[in-house]
Amino acid sequence: MIPLQLKVNGEPVAAEIEPATLLVELLRDQLGLTGTHVGCDTSQCGCCVVHVDGVALKSCTLLAISAQGSDVVTIEGLATGATLHPMQKAFHECHALQCGYCTPGMIMSAVALLERNPDPNEAEVREGLEGNLCRCTGYHNIVRAVLAAAAEMRGG
Amino acid sequence: MTDELELKFDALAVGAFKSVGRPVARREDLRLITGKGRFTDDFNEPGQVVAVLVRSPYPHARINRIDSDTAKQMPGVLAIYTGEDCRADGLGIISHSPVPSTRSDLKLTAPGGGAIFEGPHALLPVDKARHVGEGIAMVVAESHRQALDAAEHVRVDYEPLPWVADSAVAIRDGAPTVWDEVPNNVCVDTRFGDTAATDAAFASAAHVIEMEFPIQRVTATPLEPRAALGQYDEASGRYTLNAGSNGAVTHKRQIAGALNVDPENIRVLCFDVGGNFGTKNRVYVEFGLVLWAARKIGRPVKFLATRSESFLSDYQGRDLLTRVELALDADGTFLAYRASNLSNVGARIVSLSPLGKGAPLVTGSYRIPAAEVRAWAAFTTTTPTQAYRSSGRPEVIHALERIIDTAAHRLGFDPIALRRKNLVSSEEMPYTNAFGITYDSGDYIKSMDIALRLADWDGFEARALAVRERGLRLGRGFANYVESSIGAPRERVDMTISPAGRVEVVVGTQPTGQGHETSFAQVTADLLGIDANAVDIVYGDTDIVAEGGGSHSGRSMRHASTAIYGAIEKLKVYAIELAADVWGIETQAIGYGDGRFVETGGARRFDWFELAALEAERAGGGDQRGLRISHSHEMHTPVFPNGCAACEVEVDTETGFVRITKYVAVDDVGRVINPLIVDGQTHGSIATGAGQALWEQCYTDPDSGQPLSGSFMDYGIPRADEMPSFITAFNEVPSPTNPLGVKSGGEGPTTAALAVIINAIVDALRDLGVDDIPMPATPFQVWQSIRDAQG
Repeated sequence: MIPLQLKVNGEPVAAEIEPATLLVELLRDQLGLTGTHVGCDTSQCGCCVVHVDGVALKSCTLLAISAQGSDVVTIEGLATGATLHPMQKAFHECHALQCGYCTPGMIMSAVALLERNPDPNEAEVREGLEGNLCRCTGYHNIVRAVLAAAAEMRGG
Repeated sequence: MTDELELKFDALAVGAFKSVGRPVARREDLRLITGKGRFTDDFNEPGQVVAVLVRSPYPHARINRIDSDTAKQMPGVLAIYTGEDCRADGLGIISHSPVPSTRSDLKLTAPGGGAIFEGPHALLPVDKARHVGEGIAMVVAESHRQALDAAEHVRVDYEPLPWVADSAVAIRDGAPTVWDEVPNNVCVDTRFGDTAATDAAFASAAHVIEMEFPIQRVTATPLEPRAALGQYDEASGRYTLNAGSNGAVTHKRQIAGALNVDPENIRVLCFDVGGNFGTKNRVYVEFGLVLWAARKIGRPVKFLATRSESFLSDYQGRDLLTRVELALDADGTFLAYRASNLSNVGARIVSLSPLGKGAPLVTGSYRIPAAEVRAWAAFTTTTPTQAYRSSGRPEVIHALERIIDTAAHRLGFDPIALRRKNLVSSEEMPYTNAFGITYDSGDYIKSMDIALRLADWDGFEARALAVRERGLRLGRGFANYVESSIGAPRERVDMTISPAGRVEVVVGTQPTGQGHETSFAQVTADLLGIDANAVDIVYGDTDIVAEGGGSHSGRSMRHASTAIYGAIEKLKVYAIELAADVWGIETQAIGYGDGRFVETGGARRFDWFELAALEAERAGGGDQRGLRISHSHEMHTPVFPNGCAACEVEVDTETGFVRITKYVAVDDVGRVINPLIVDGQTHGSIATGAGQALWEQCYTDPDSGQPLSGSFMDYGIPRADEMPSFITAFNEVPSPTNPLGVKSGGEGPTTAALAVIINAIVDALRDLGVDDIPMPATPFQVWQSIRDAQG
């Protein structure tokens, strides 16, 4: 067991972990943050995307120990109190989710996408979300939601 | 029941809906966008241990011996179970009830007409492995890693046997036998239709076109892998299973059968389900195994499939070889149709829904007076197949819409005009097709006109020229479809209207992303004349939900709305009696409208909640929950969602690369309860079909029988940058078969998608000599088809 200290959703966390623990295992199994999902074993689906020091990463492909001292934000930490992040709000209003399993990773990727490019066109949104798979929506309403959130965030 | 409801349908149709028909954003979203969903793997229990399956590496092998002595000694290992252990403990088999059995389903039989041999599905086999990935033993350990390590040390003495993956090979003389009970592997063989009339029509036809289409095997890959958490309570003797499915009630019964226990001793919990598309409709061996192991070990046991395991052992979809013939007279009138549909059921029969549902729809949306279909199926040493989004219909509609396009081009007809000439018209509705199946309603020609306009069909040539200038080719395709929505015939609603102003609706069908909590509340609210926010929809716990058929075959909204309607009609009668009693007047002197019971010619009135308060008050020390009603109904009448699709594709003849540049879907789903949700269903449904048309294939290596599609790196589900935005429209023709006029959304667009995309690609390449392209039309396949056409 090795000691790990990091920040998760703004709160300091101290944990004892097995060396091989993945970041997603730490989040789900040890911290009970089950909003981050696992949908594959080859880093393809993106259900597990979280922000590590502001960068969207697939937490299934990251050893927890490599997040030592980092600032991790998961889907549970995206809203501010009762106020949804504009991306969460847009996903709801545009019906950008159905089963909701890919949604946390999709939202975290989309937020990071807009941080890199606050005013993307449709093609840029689609390319930016290429690493997140969704089997329910055909991506149509996800793209609409990201464009809507981008417009709102630029306006606000 | 159905007849009674039909009479009342007109009254409902003119009633004012306040919430039904509006694009209400979903109430289930809030938990899902904030990470508070309740998926199976989100549940954990104190003392929980982990199960891992030892899976067969061979497509077909005799199990001579299983040696787990070493593995049992490894750290953390609690138990290792084999098929012999299951047998010794008196476990049964999973009874999948694979043969479609509503009154309107055509009856599939074994060759010669007898009962179908299904291939018993033991939780673990004792004799043979019949597909790669079949579970052979189960290891239970304290941790996942310990279980995985031990699984590698379970030594199975396999005797590899000859294998067969392809149904066309499995039916040949001398092919390897999957089950000794069915030496030639042909487990189903049934003919439907009028052979003599069909033969006569073909004999007199001016033209006959014949084609063959392998509809390749695909897999649903819901993003939540299948999972199960089993618990056993020694004191009560009850088992509890958390597992994602399309309906916990059916699963409860089937798991009870497999464990040989009373269904009342099984509780199944199913809350958020991360996608289904058919693959989670059926019980998996792990569901029974974790419960059994939980009892034997005395601790909760969890199983979570990896994605690779899902690719190997999730029930898969399609895999139909269909050979079709179309007879036309000189002016293009369709005269007759023949089809031979050979289904690959895999290692055992889990479902014959795809074969059964496709067979009577081979003539699709067209007036084809004579037809015959041979519906047959073969065992192979592959993962079993099961209904996959629009079970059986995309296969037969693909064949039909491809052969119509081919006929048009070979015989010199305009493909749109040829379709229009032969489409069943709205005046002919209800229309009984050549197999005796009655299409309830629809305006197919109007849908086609809407789609052609939205696609700017007539402006194609100018767009095609512009694309040519970029060195690419533009092709356009069109396809009509009709599909059937039948499904399990029974559904139940338990409704409570409380004095506190809330309505609780317990319903047996299970959402897997379709938004039932929102749309069922819309229906309930409008039928009660109250606000939708006052309605709570409850599902997913078999200790609360007594009965229900689950979500499949597009049945949920149709069945739930009909059951809700029936419950409220019953409750109205009771409520009027209650009001009459309180007011001391005759029931005939009370009218009902817009959620209020009113004294005729008087000033007294009650709303539902006031009556609920009265009811609670009268109960005294008894049940004070308010107005309560249970209603079960049985509905055997199918409905026929229909519509069409048009699309354009750009094709690069140098690389074979295809891009969908325009996609139009027009769908008649009957009454649209929530257009936001139904549109979302349409989008996903298109992508499901596009994936099959362009990229997806469960590919088996022809030399080894090994599945080579084992991850998202070698199986191509659609990605965001490969899909266009879609243009969608409804052509809403309410069904006369149920009070809300519901047909079904969510499966129809898949039904048209395979054919419309391949039609468009072939259109782009026709002058190069390409007249068909097998699916998936990957860049390599398109490039190869061009090369083959050019010799």
